[in-house]
Amino acid sequence: MRIEAKNLNYTYSPKAKDFSVRALKNVNLTIEEGDFFAIVGHTGSGKSTFVQHINGLIKVQKGSGELTVGEFDLTDKKCDFKSLRAKTGMVFQYPEYQLFAETVRDDVAFGLKNFFPNLSEKEREEKVKKAIELVGLDYKRIKDRSPFEFSGGQKRRIAIAGVLVSEPEVLILDEPAAGLDPQGKKDFLSLLKKVHGSFVKTIVIVSHDMNLVSEYCNRAAVFSNGGIYKVGSPKEIFSDAAAVEGLGLELPVTAYLENELKKAGVEISSDLTEEDFINNAAKVLIKKGDNA
Amino acid sequence: MKDVTFGQYYPAKSFVHNMDPRIKILATIAYIVGVFLVTPFHFLGFAACLIFVAVVTAVAKVPFLRVLKSIKAILFIVLFSAVLQIFFNRQGNVLTEFWVIKITDYGLLNAGYITARITLIVLGASLLTLTTSPVELADGIESLMYPLKFIKFPVHEFALIMSIALRFIPTLLGETDRIIKAQKARGANFESGNIFKRAKALIPVLIPLLISSFRRADELADAMDARCYGGSKQRTRYKKLKITYRDIIGAVVVAGLIVGVVFLNKFYVVLAV
Repeated sequence: MRIEAKNLNYTYSPKAKDFSVRALKNVNLTIEEGDFFAIVGHTGSGKSTFVQHINGLIKVQKGSGELTVGEFDLTDKKCDFKSLRAKTGMVFQYPEYQLFAETVRDDVAFGLKNFFPNLSEKEREEKVKKAIELVGLDYKRIKDRSPFEFSGGQKRRIAIAGVLVSEPEVLILDEPAAGLDPQGKKDFLSLLKKVHGSFVKTIVIVSHDMNLVSEYCNRAAVFSNGGIYKVGSPKEIFSDAAAVEGLGLELPVTAYLENELKKAGVEISSDLTEEDFINNAAKVLIKKGDNA
Repeated sequence: MKDVTFGQYYPAKSFVHNMDPRIKILATIAYIVGVFLVTPFHFLGFAACLIFVAVVTAVAKVPFLRVLKSIKAILFIVLFSAVLQIFFNRQGNVLTEFWVIKITDYGLLNAGYITARITLIVLGASLLTLTTSPVELADGIESLMYPLKFIKFPVHEFALIMSIALRFIPTLLGETDRIIKAQKARGANFESGNIFKRAKALIPVLIPLLISSFRRADELADAMDARCYGGSKQRTRYKKLKITYRDIIGAVVVAGLIVGVVFLNKFYVVLAV
Protein backbone atom coordinates (compact mmCIF):
# COMPACT_ATOMS: atom_id res chain seq x y z
CA MET A 1 0.00 0.00 0.00
CA ARG A 2 1.21 3.41 -0.95
CA ILE A 3 1.13 6.10 1.71
CA GLU A 4 0.61 9.58 0.39
CA ALA A 5 0.29 12.78 2.40
CA LYS A 6 -0.51 16.07 0.70
CA ASN A 7 -0.25 19.36 2.57
CA LEU A 8 -0.92 17.57 5.83
CA ASN A 9 -1.27 19.84 8.87
CA TYR A 10 -1.97 19.06 12.48
CA THR A 11 -2.46 21.32 15.49
CA TYR A 12 -2.66 20.08 19.09
CA SER A 13 -5.41 21.75 21.15
CA PRO A 14 -6.44 24.08 18.33
CA LYS A 15 -9.14 25.71 20.44
CA ALA A 16 -6.92 26.82 23.31
CA LYS A 17 -5.04 29.60 21.64
CA ASP A 18 -2.28 29.92 24.22
CA PHE A 19 -1.54 26.20 24.32
CA SER A 20 -2.04 25.12 20.73
CA VAL A 21 0.99 23.66 19.02
CA ARG A 22 1.36 23.19 15.30
CA ALA A 23 2.87 19.72 15.12
CA LEU A 24 2.71 19.26 11.35
CA LYS A 25 3.11 21.99 8.77
CA ASN A 26 2.26 21.28 5.13
CA VAL A 27 3.79 17.82 5.07
CA ASN A 28 4.06 16.33 1.58
CA LEU A 29 5.37 12.80 1.66
CA THR A 30 4.95 9.65 -0.40
CA ILE A 31 6.04 6.28 0.90
CA GLU A 32 6.00 3.67 -1.85
CA GLU A 33 5.03 0.05 -1.39
CA GLY A 34 8.19 -1.92 -0.68
CA ASP A 35 10.03 0.91 1.01
CA PHE A 36 12.03 0.42 4.18
CA PHE A 37 11.41 4.01 5.11
CA ALA A 38 13.02 5.93 7.97
CA ILE A 39 11.61 9.03 9.60
CA VAL A 40 14.20 10.96 11.56
CA GLY A 41 14.28 14.30 13.32
CA HIS A 42 14.80 15.92 16.69
CA THR A 43 12.30 15.42 19.53
CA GLY A 44 9.14 17.38 18.90
CA SER A 45 9.70 17.56 15.16
CA GLY A 46 6.37 15.91 14.36
CA LYS A 47 7.58 12.38 13.54
CA SER A 48 5.28 10.57 15.95
CA THR A 49 2.33 12.76 15.07
CA PHE A 50 2.86 11.90 11.42
CA VAL A 51 3.15 8.13 11.84
CA GLN A 52 0.11 8.04 14.11
CA HIS A 53 -1.86 9.58 11.26
CA ILE A 54 -1.04 6.64 9.03
CA ASN A 55 -3.25 4.15 10.87
CA GLY A 56 -5.81 6.69 12.01
CA LEU A 57 -4.81 6.89 15.68
CA ILE A 58 -4.72 10.60 15.07
CA LYS A 59 -7.49 11.69 12.75
CA VAL A 60 -6.79 14.16 9.99
CA GLN A 61 -8.19 17.49 11.10
CA LYS A 62 -10.83 19.11 8.95
CA GLY A 63 -9.36 21.06 6.06
CA SER A 64 -5.82 20.09 7.04
CA GLY A 65 -4.72 18.35 3.87
CA GLU A 66 -5.06 14.88 2.39
CA LEU A 67 -3.84 11.47 3.43
CA THR A 68 -4.32 8.19 1.64
CA VAL A 69 -3.01 4.76 2.60
CA GLY A 70 -3.57 2.31 -0.24
CA GLU A 71 -7.26 2.39 -1.03
CA PHE A 72 -8.11 4.14 2.27
CA ASP A 73 -8.87 7.85 2.22
CA LEU A 74 -8.27 8.99 5.78
CA THR A 75 -10.00 12.32 5.32
CA ASP A 76 -13.21 10.45 4.51
CA LYS A 77 -15.58 10.24 7.48
CA LYS A 78 -16.69 6.78 6.39
CA CYS A 79 -13.14 5.44 6.30
CA ASP A 80 -13.04 1.89 7.72
CA PHE A 81 -10.40 2.38 10.39
CA LYS A 82 -10.65 -1.17 11.64
CA SER A 83 -9.61 -2.66 8.30
CA LEU A 84 -7.00 0.04 7.93
CA ARG A 85 -5.48 -0.81 11.30
CA ALA A 86 -5.52 -4.50 10.46
CA LYS A 87 -3.38 -3.71 7.43
CA THR A 88 -1.11 -1.19 9.12
CA GLY A 89 0.48 -2.65 12.21
CA MET A 90 1.93 -0.22 14.71
CA VAL A 91 4.67 -0.90 17.23
CA PHE A 92 5.12 1.83 19.80
CA GLN A 93 8.15 2.68 21.85
CA TYR A 94 8.46 0.18 24.71
CA PRO A 95 5.71 -2.05 23.30
CA GLU A 96 6.17 -4.46 26.22
CA TYR A 97 4.16 -2.05 28.38
CA GLN A 98 1.01 -2.87 26.46
CA LEU A 99 0.89 -6.53 27.48
CA PHE A 100 -2.13 -7.35 29.58
CA ALA A 101 -3.51 -10.87 29.13
CA GLU A 102 -3.12 -13.86 31.41
CA THR A 103 -1.20 -15.95 28.93
CA VAL A 104 1.16 -15.19 26.08
CA ARG A 105 -1.22 -16.87 23.67
CA ASP A 106 -4.16 -14.68 24.69
CA ASP A 107 -2.12 -11.54 24.45
CA VAL A 108 -0.80 -12.29 21.00
CA ALA A 109 -4.29 -13.30 19.86
CA PHE A 110 -5.83 -10.01 21.02
CA GLY A 111 -5.41 -8.19 17.71
CA LEU A 112 -6.50 -11.23 15.77
CA LYS A 113 -9.73 -11.52 17.75
CA ASN A 114 -10.45 -7.84 17.17
CA PHE A 115 -9.67 -7.73 13.48
CA PHE A 116 -10.84 -11.18 12.36
CA PRO A 117 -13.51 -12.36 14.79
CA ASN A 118 -14.70 -15.00 12.37
CA LEU A 119 -11.54 -17.11 12.43
CA SER A 120 -11.93 -20.62 13.77
CA GLU A 121 -10.13 -21.61 16.96
CA LYS A 122 -7.73 -23.71 14.92
CA GLU A 123 -6.88 -21.00 12.41
CA ARG A 124 -6.28 -18.55 15.20
CA GLU A 125 -4.01 -20.96 17.05
CA GLU A 126 -2.05 -21.49 13.85
CA LYS A 127 -1.53 -17.77 13.26
CA VAL A 128 -0.53 -17.12 16.86
CA LYS A 129 1.98 -19.96 16.68
CA LYS A 130 3.40 -18.58 13.46
CA ALA A 131 3.78 -15.09 14.89
CA ILE A 132 5.46 -16.28 18.08
CA GLU A 133 7.86 -18.44 16.13
CA LEU A 134 8.55 -15.56 13.76
CA VAL A 135 9.88 -13.43 16.63
CA GLY A 136 12.13 -16.30 17.65
CA LEU A 137 10.34 -17.75 20.66
CA ASP A 138 9.32 -21.32 21.40
CA TYR A 139 5.53 -21.45 21.09
CA LYS A 140 4.98 -24.68 22.98
CA ARG A 141 7.05 -23.63 25.94
CA ILE A 142 5.70 -20.15 26.44
CA LYS A 143 2.10 -20.14 25.22
CA ASP A 144 0.48 -20.83 28.58
CA ARG A 145 2.78 -18.74 30.72
CA SER A 146 2.05 -15.20 31.87
CA PRO A 147 3.65 -12.56 29.62
CA PHE A 148 4.83 -10.73 32.74
CA GLU A 149 7.28 -13.38 33.87
CA PHE A 150 9.64 -12.87 30.95
CA SER A 151 12.65 -10.59 30.59
CA GLY A 152 12.34 -7.17 28.98
CA GLY A 153 13.65 -8.28 25.60
CA GLN A 154 11.40 -11.33 25.51
CA LYS A 155 8.38 -9.26 26.54
CA ARG A 156 9.10 -6.94 23.64
CA ARG A 157 9.17 -9.88 21.23
CA ILE A 158 5.84 -11.10 22.55
CA ALA A 159 4.38 -7.61 22.11
CA ILE A 160 5.69 -7.44 18.55
CA ALA A 161 4.27 -10.88 17.83
CA GLY A 162 0.95 -9.39 18.94
CA VAL A 163 1.23 -6.86 16.13
CA LEU A 164 2.61 -9.18 13.47
CA VAL A 165 -0.07 -11.79 14.10
CA SER A 166 -2.60 -9.95 11.93
CA GLU A 167 -0.06 -9.95 9.09
CA PRO A 168 -0.09 -6.22 8.33
CA GLU A 169 1.07 -5.03 4.92
CA VAL A 170 2.53 -1.88 6.43
CA LEU A 171 4.50 -2.03 9.64
CA ILE A 172 5.04 1.24 11.49
CA LEU A 173 7.58 1.31 14.29
CA ASP A 174 8.11 4.24 16.63
CA GLU A 175 11.57 4.03 18.23
CA PRO A 176 11.38 0.25 18.45
CA ALA A 177 14.97 -0.42 19.46
CA ALA A 178 15.05 1.95 22.44
CA GLY A 179 16.43 0.32 25.56
CA LEU A 180 17.66 -2.86 23.87
CA ASP A 181 21.21 -4.10 24.33
CA PRO A 182 23.40 -4.39 21.21
CA GLN A 183 22.64 -8.07 20.67
CA GLY A 184 18.94 -7.47 21.23
CA LYS A 185 19.05 -4.67 18.70
CA LYS A 186 20.74 -6.85 16.13
CA ASP A 187 18.24 -9.66 16.60
CA PHE A 188 15.43 -7.20 16.36
CA LEU A 189 16.66 -5.65 13.14
CA SER A 190 17.23 -9.00 11.49
CA LEU A 191 13.65 -9.83 12.46
CA LEU A 192 12.51 -6.68 10.67
CA LYS A 193 14.48 -7.65 7.59
CA LYS A 194 12.95 -11.11 7.66
CA VAL A 195 9.36 -9.85 7.84
CA HIS A 196 10.01 -7.17 5.24
CA GLY A 197 10.51 -9.93 2.71
CA SER A 198 7.32 -11.78 3.66
CA PHE A 199 3.83 -10.43 4.29
CA VAL A 200 5.05 -6.99 5.37
CA LYS A 201 5.49 -4.96 2.19
CA THR A 202 6.38 -1.58 3.65
CA ILE A 203 8.18 -0.65 6.85
CA VAL A 204 8.08 2.85 8.28
CA ILE A 205 10.48 3.30 11.16
CA VAL A 206 10.93 6.32 13.42
CA SER A 207 14.41 6.32 14.83
CA HIS A 208 17.16 8.38 16.36
CA ASP A 209 19.71 5.75 15.41
CA MET A 210 21.32 6.94 12.19
CA ASN A 211 23.36 3.76 11.84
CA LEU A 212 20.12 1.86 11.62
CA VAL A 213 18.87 4.29 8.97
CA SER A 214 21.94 4.00 6.76
CA GLU A 215 22.17 0.25 7.21
CA TYR A 216 18.60 -0.85 6.61
CA CYS A 217 16.55 1.87 4.98
CA ASN A 218 16.32 2.63 1.29
CA ARG A 219 14.68 6.00 1.82
CA ALA A 220 14.33 8.47 4.64
CA ALA A 221 12.62 11.75 5.50
CA VAL A 222 14.06 14.32 7.87
CA PHE A 223 11.47 16.16 9.92
CA SER A 224 12.25 19.49 11.48
CA ASN A 225 9.82 21.68 13.43
CA GLY A 226 6.79 19.96 11.96
CA GLY A 227 7.86 20.24 8.35
CA ILE A 228 9.90 18.02 6.07
CA TYR A 229 13.46 19.15 5.63
CA LYS A 230 14.60 16.54 3.16
CA VAL A 231 13.52 13.27 1.58
CA GLY A 232 15.85 10.86 -0.17
CA SER A 233 18.19 7.90 0.13
CA PRO A 234 20.46 7.79 3.19
CA LYS A 235 23.31 8.75 0.89
CA GLU A 236 21.47 11.92 -0.16
CA ILE A 237 20.33 12.73 3.37
CA PHE A 238 23.76 12.42 4.94
CA SER A 239 25.70 14.06 2.11
CA ASP A 240 25.52 17.43 3.83
CA ALA A 241 27.10 16.69 7.22
CA ALA A 242 26.87 20.23 8.54
CA ALA A 243 23.13 20.48 7.79
CA VAL A 244 22.42 17.10 9.38
CA GLU A 245 24.26 18.07 12.53
CA GLY A 246 22.60 21.48 12.52
CA LEU A 247 19.25 19.69 12.84
CA GLY A 248 20.36 18.00 16.03
CA LEU A 249 21.07 14.66 14.37
CA GLU A 250 24.29 12.75 14.08
CA LEU A 251 25.91 11.06 11.10
CA PRO A 252 26.03 7.30 10.77
CA VAL A 253 29.51 5.86 11.41
CA THR A 254 30.05 5.13 7.71
CA ALA A 255 29.20 8.69 6.64
CA TYR A 256 31.36 10.09 9.42
CA LEU A 257 34.32 7.96 8.33
CA GLU A 258 33.85 8.94 4.70
CA ASN A 259 33.92 12.60 5.65
CA GLU A 260 36.96 12.35 7.88
CA LEU A 261 38.87 10.24 5.38
CA LYS A 262 38.03 12.73 2.64
CA LYS A 263 39.64 15.46 4.73
CA ALA A 264 42.73 13.23 4.94
CA GLY A 265 42.71 12.82 1.18
CA VAL A 266 41.15 9.38 0.88
CA GLU A 267 37.98 9.25 -1.21
CA ILE A 268 35.56 6.45 -0.42
CA SER A 269 32.09 6.46 -1.89
CA SER A 270 29.73 3.78 -0.59
CA ASP A 271 25.96 3.64 -0.21
CA LEU A 272 26.66 4.00 3.55
CA THR A 273 25.86 0.40 4.49
CA GLU A 274 28.65 -1.20 6.49
CA GLU A 275 29.24 -3.93 3.93
CA ASP A 276 29.46 -1.61 0.96
CA PHE A 277 31.66 0.79 2.90
CA ILE A 278 34.12 -1.96 3.80
CA ASN A 279 34.20 -3.25 0.22
CA ASN A 280 34.87 0.21 -1.17
CA ALA A 281 37.45 0.96 1.49
CA ALA A 282 39.21 -2.29 0.68
CA LYS A 283 39.29 -1.40 -3.02
CA VAL A 284 40.81 1.99 -2.24
CA LEU A 285 43.38 0.42 0.03
CA ILE A 286 44.36 -2.18 -2.56
CA LYS A 287 44.73 0.53 -5.18
CA LYS A 288 46.99 2.53 -2.86
CA GLY A 289 49.02 -0.59 -2.21
CA ASP A 290 49.43 -1.13 -5.96
CA ASN A 291 50.57 2.46 -6.49
CA ALA A 292 53.17 2.32 -3.74
CA MET B 1 -6.64 12.87 26.41
CA LYS B 2 -3.84 15.34 25.89
CA ASP B 3 -6.31 18.20 26.09
CA VAL B 4 -7.01 17.43 29.71
CA THR B 5 -5.25 20.02 31.82
CA PHE B 6 -5.29 19.23 35.45
CA GLY B 7 -6.27 21.93 37.89
CA GLN B 8 -6.85 25.38 36.60
CA TYR B 9 -3.95 27.33 38.00
CA TYR B 10 -3.60 30.63 36.17
CA PRO B 11 0.01 31.70 36.48
CA ALA B 12 0.44 35.43 37.02
CA LYS B 13 2.26 37.82 39.30
CA SER B 14 -0.20 39.49 41.56
CA PHE B 15 -1.00 40.44 45.11
CA VAL B 16 -3.28 37.44 45.47
CA HIS B 17 -0.86 34.98 43.85
CA ASN B 18 1.82 36.04 46.28
CA MET B 19 -0.29 35.50 49.36
CA ASP B 20 0.50 32.67 51.73
CA PRO B 21 -1.48 29.57 50.63
CA ARG B 22 -2.51 28.92 54.24
CA ILE B 23 -4.15 32.31 54.52
CA LYS B 24 -5.77 31.84 51.14
CA ILE B 25 -7.24 28.49 52.19
CA LEU B 26 -8.50 29.93 55.47
CA ALA B 27 -9.83 33.02 53.71
CA THR B 28 -11.69 30.82 51.24
CA ILE B 29 -13.25 28.87 54.07
CA ALA B 30 -14.19 32.15 55.78
CA TYR B 31 -15.66 33.43 52.53
CA ILE B 32 -17.79 30.30 52.17
CA VAL B 33 -18.99 30.74 55.75
CA GLY B 34 -19.79 34.34 54.81
CA VAL B 35 -21.92 33.20 51.88
CA PHE B 36 -23.78 30.81 54.15
CA LEU B 37 -24.35 33.59 56.67
CA VAL B 38 -26.56 35.47 54.23
CA THR B 39 -30.05 34.78 55.57
CA PRO B 40 -32.81 33.99 53.06
CA PHE B 41 -33.61 36.74 50.61
CA HIS B 42 -31.15 39.35 51.88
CA PHE B 43 -29.81 39.60 48.40
CA LEU B 44 -27.69 42.61 49.31
CA GLY B 45 -25.41 40.23 51.24
CA PHE B 46 -24.91 38.24 48.04
CA ALA B 47 -24.20 41.45 46.20
CA ALA B 48 -21.44 42.16 48.72
CA CYS B 49 -19.95 38.68 48.12
CA LEU B 50 -20.14 39.18 44.36
CA ILE B 51 -18.35 42.50 44.62
CA PHE B 52 -15.72 40.80 46.79
CA VAL B 53 -15.18 38.10 44.12
CA ALA B 54 -14.97 40.73 41.38
CA VAL B 55 -12.42 42.80 43.31
CA VAL B 56 -10.25 39.77 44.14
CA THR B 57 -10.38 38.65 40.49
CA ALA B 58 -9.29 42.08 39.33
CA VAL B 59 -6.48 42.27 41.91
CA ALA B 60 -5.35 38.73 40.99
CA LYS B 61 -5.16 39.72 37.30
CA VAL B 62 -7.19 36.65 36.37
CA PRO B 63 -9.46 37.12 33.34
CA PHE B 64 -13.10 37.30 34.46
CA LEU B 65 -14.06 34.70 31.89
CA ARG B 66 -11.70 32.16 33.44
CA VAL B 67 -13.43 32.59 36.79
CA LEU B 68 -16.88 32.39 35.23
CA LYS B 69 -15.90 29.20 33.41
CA SER B 70 -15.76 27.37 36.74
CA ILE B 71 -19.55 27.60 36.86
CA LYS B 72 -19.75 25.37 33.83
CA ALA B 73 -18.94 22.32 35.94
CA ILE B 74 -21.87 22.90 38.30
CA LEU B 75 -24.28 24.38 35.78
CA PHE B 76 -26.41 21.25 35.77
CA ILE B 77 -26.74 21.10 39.55
CA VAL B 78 -27.61 24.78 39.74
CA LEU B 79 -30.22 24.60 36.99
CA PHE B 80 -31.67 21.40 38.37
CA SER B 81 -32.17 22.78 41.87
CA ALA B 82 -33.47 26.10 40.54
CA VAL B 83 -36.01 24.37 38.30
CA LEU B 84 -37.16 22.15 41.18
CA GLN B 85 -37.66 25.21 43.36
CA ILE B 86 -39.52 27.18 40.72
CA PHE B 87 -41.93 24.47 39.67
CA PHE B 88 -42.48 22.43 42.78
CA ASN B 89 -42.20 24.77 45.75
CA ARG B 90 -45.77 25.12 47.06
CA GLN B 91 -45.12 27.75 49.74
CA GLY B 92 -46.07 31.41 49.39
CA ASN B 93 -48.48 33.16 47.04
CA VAL B 94 -49.32 31.42 43.79
CA LEU B 95 -48.39 33.52 40.79
CA THR B 96 -49.47 31.23 37.94
CA GLU B 97 -50.77 27.72 37.81
CA PHE B 98 -51.06 25.11 35.08
CA TRP B 99 -51.45 21.34 35.10
CA VAL B 100 -49.60 20.01 38.20
CA ILE B 101 -47.30 23.00 38.34
CA LYS B 102 -47.74 25.97 40.65
CA ILE B 103 -45.29 28.81 40.47
CA THR B 104 -45.13 30.78 43.71
CA ASP B 105 -43.25 33.93 44.65
CA TYR B 106 -41.54 32.03 47.44
CA GLY B 107 -40.38 29.37 44.98
CA LEU B 108 -38.91 32.00 42.68
CA LEU B 109 -37.10 33.72 45.50
CA ASN B 110 -35.80 30.44 46.86
CA ALA B 111 -34.54 29.45 43.41
CA GLY B 112 -32.66 32.73 43.18
CA TYR B 113 -31.32 32.28 46.71
CA ILE B 114 -29.99 28.76 46.09
CA THR B 115 -28.55 29.66 42.70
CA ALA B 116 -26.74 32.68 44.13
CA ARG B 117 -25.39 30.64 47.03
CA ILE B 118 -23.95 27.76 44.98
CA THR B 119 -22.60 30.04 42.27
CA LEU B 120 -20.86 32.35 44.72
CA ILE B 121 -19.29 29.45 46.61
CA VAL B 122 -17.91 27.93 43.42
CA LEU B 123 -16.64 31.29 42.18
CA GLY B 124 -14.79 31.91 45.43
CA ALA B 125 -13.34 28.40 45.62
CA SER B 126 -12.18 28.58 42.01
CA LEU B 127 -10.35 31.81 42.80
CA LEU B 128 -8.29 29.80 45.28
CA THR B 129 -7.29 27.17 42.73
CA LEU B 130 -6.79 29.76 40.00
CA THR B 131 -4.29 31.71 42.05
CA THR B 132 -2.60 28.89 43.96
CA SER B 133 -0.54 26.19 42.28
CA PRO B 134 -1.25 22.58 43.31
CA VAL B 135 2.15 22.37 45.02
CA GLU B 136 1.48 25.50 47.06
CA LEU B 137 -1.94 24.14 47.96
CA ALA B 138 -0.42 20.90 49.20
CA ASP B 139 2.15 22.83 51.23
CA GLY B 140 -0.57 24.99 52.70
CA ILE B 141 -2.74 22.04 53.63
CA GLU B 142 0.22 20.29 55.22
CA SER B 143 0.99 23.31 57.33
CA LEU B 144 -2.65 23.79 58.32
CA MET B 145 -2.90 20.15 59.36
CA TYR B 146 0.12 20.47 61.61
CA PRO B 147 -1.91 20.41 64.86
CA LEU B 148 -3.10 16.90 63.93
CA LYS B 149 0.43 15.70 64.67
CA PHE B 150 -0.42 15.75 68.34
CA ILE B 151 -2.94 12.99 67.81
CA LYS B 152 -0.22 11.01 65.96
CA PHE B 153 -1.60 11.73 62.51
CA PRO B 154 1.23 11.39 59.92
CA VAL B 155 0.80 14.88 58.51
CA HIS B 156 4.01 15.00 56.51
CA GLU B 157 3.46 11.61 54.93
CA PHE B 158 -0.09 12.55 54.09
CA ALA B 159 1.10 15.73 52.39
CA LEU B 160 3.76 13.77 50.52
CA ILE B 161 1.15 11.34 49.25
CA MET B 162 -0.90 14.29 48.11
CA SER B 163 1.91 15.98 46.23
CA ILE B 164 3.04 12.73 44.61
CA ALA B 165 -0.52 12.05 43.48
CA LEU B 166 -0.77 15.54 42.02
CA ARG B 167 2.62 15.19 40.35
CA PHE B 168 1.71 11.91 38.68
CA ILE B 169 -1.67 12.84 37.28
CA PRO B 170 -0.24 14.24 34.02
CA THR B 171 2.20 11.33 33.78
CA LEU B 172 -0.57 8.79 34.16
CA LEU B 173 -2.77 10.63 31.67
CA GLY B 174 0.06 10.48 29.14
CA GLU B 175 0.59 6.80 29.85
CA THR B 176 -3.13 6.07 29.51
CA ASP B 177 -3.20 7.86 26.19
CA ARG B 178 -0.26 5.81 24.94
CA ILE B 179 -1.72 2.48 26.03
CA ILE B 180 -5.12 3.31 24.55
CA LYS B 181 -3.42 4.08 21.26
CA ALA B 182 -1.38 0.89 21.35
CA GLN B 183 -4.48 -1.24 21.95
CA LYS B 184 -6.46 0.68 19.33
CA ALA B 185 -3.69 -0.13 16.88
CA ARG B 186 -4.39 -3.78 17.73
CA GLY B 187 -8.05 -3.28 16.87
CA ALA B 188 -9.45 -2.55 20.32
CA ASN B 189 -12.72 -0.68 20.20
CA PHE B 190 -13.61 1.69 23.03
CA GLU B 191 -16.28 3.66 21.28
CA SER B 192 -19.12 1.29 20.54
CA GLY B 193 -21.14 -1.39 22.29
CA ASN B 194 -23.20 -1.29 25.45
CA ILE B 195 -21.86 -0.25 28.82
CA PHE B 196 -20.71 -3.77 29.77
CA LYS B 197 -18.86 -4.21 26.50
CA ARG B 198 -17.15 -0.86 26.97
CA ALA B 199 -16.18 -1.67 30.53
CA LYS B 200 -14.71 -4.96 29.35
CA ALA B 201 -12.84 -3.16 26.57
CA LEU B 202 -11.03 -1.15 29.23
CA ILE B 203 -9.30 -4.20 30.75
CA PRO B 204 -6.44 -4.12 28.20
CA VAL B 205 -5.86 -0.50 29.24
CA LEU B 206 -6.26 -0.79 32.99
CA ILE B 207 -3.98 -3.78 33.52
CA PRO B 208 -0.92 -2.28 31.81
CA LEU B 209 -1.66 1.01 33.58
CA LEU B 210 -1.79 -0.68 36.96
CA ILE B 211 1.42 -2.58 36.29
CA SER B 212 3.27 0.52 35.16
CA SER B 213 2.02 2.42 38.21
CA PHE B 214 3.55 -0.21 40.47
CA ARG B 215 6.77 -0.05 38.49
CA ARG B 216 6.82 3.73 38.78
CA ALA B 217 6.12 3.58 42.51
CA ASP B 218 9.05 1.18 42.94
CA GLU B 219 11.35 3.41 40.92
CA LEU B 220 10.28 6.51 42.81
CA ALA B 221 10.85 4.77 46.15
CA ASP B 222 14.34 3.74 45.02
CA ALA B 223 15.14 7.25 43.83
CA MET B 224 13.99 8.69 47.15
CA ASP B 225 15.98 6.12 49.10
CA ALA B 226 19.05 6.85 47.00
CA ARG B 227 18.78 10.47 48.07
CA CYS B 228 18.42 9.48 51.73
CA TYR B 229 14.82 10.51 52.12
CA GLY B 230 13.91 9.76 55.71
CA GLY B 231 10.44 11.05 56.36
CA SER B 232 9.42 14.07 58.35
CA LYS B 233 12.07 14.07 61.07
CA GLN B 234 14.44 17.02 60.93
CA ARG B 235 13.44 17.84 57.42
CA THR B 236 13.93 21.44 56.40
CA ARG B 237 12.01 23.18 53.67
CA TYR B 238 13.21 24.74 50.48
CA LYS B 239 10.31 27.15 50.40
CA LYS B 240 9.27 28.40 53.82
CA LEU B 241 5.75 29.72 54.09
CA LYS B 242 5.73 33.20 55.51
CA ILE B 243 2.97 35.54 56.57
CA THR B 244 3.48 39.00 55.04
CA TYR B 245 1.61 42.28 54.98
CA ARG B 246 -0.39 40.91 52.04
CA ASP B 247 -1.84 38.17 54.16
CA ILE B 248 -2.81 40.56 56.90
CA ILE B 249 -4.54 42.82 54.38
CA GLY B 250 -6.27 39.80 52.82
CA ALA B 251 -7.46 38.53 56.20
CA VAL B 252 -8.77 41.98 57.13
CA VAL B 253 -10.67 42.27 53.84
CA VAL B 254 -12.33 38.88 54.29
CA ALA B 255 -13.18 39.71 57.89
CA GLY B 256 -14.67 42.97 56.58
CA LEU B 257 -16.78 40.99 54.13
CA ILE B 258 -18.21 38.81 56.89
CA VAL B 259 -18.98 41.81 59.10
CA GLY B 260 -20.62 43.46 56.08
CA VAL B 261 -22.78 40.41 55.40
CA VAL B 262 -23.94 40.25 59.02
CA PHE B 263 -24.63 43.97 58.96
CA LEU B 264 -26.68 43.71 55.79
CA ASN B 265 -28.61 40.80 57.32
CA LYS B 266 -29.54 42.83 60.35
CA PHE B 267 -30.30 46.27 59.00
CA TYR B 268 -31.77 45.90 55.57
CA VAL B 269 -35.36 44.99 54.93
CA VAL B 270 -36.10 41.53 53.65
CA LEU B 271 -37.07 41.53 50.01
CA ALA B 272 -40.76 40.72 49.47
CA VAL B 273 -42.69 38.10 51.44
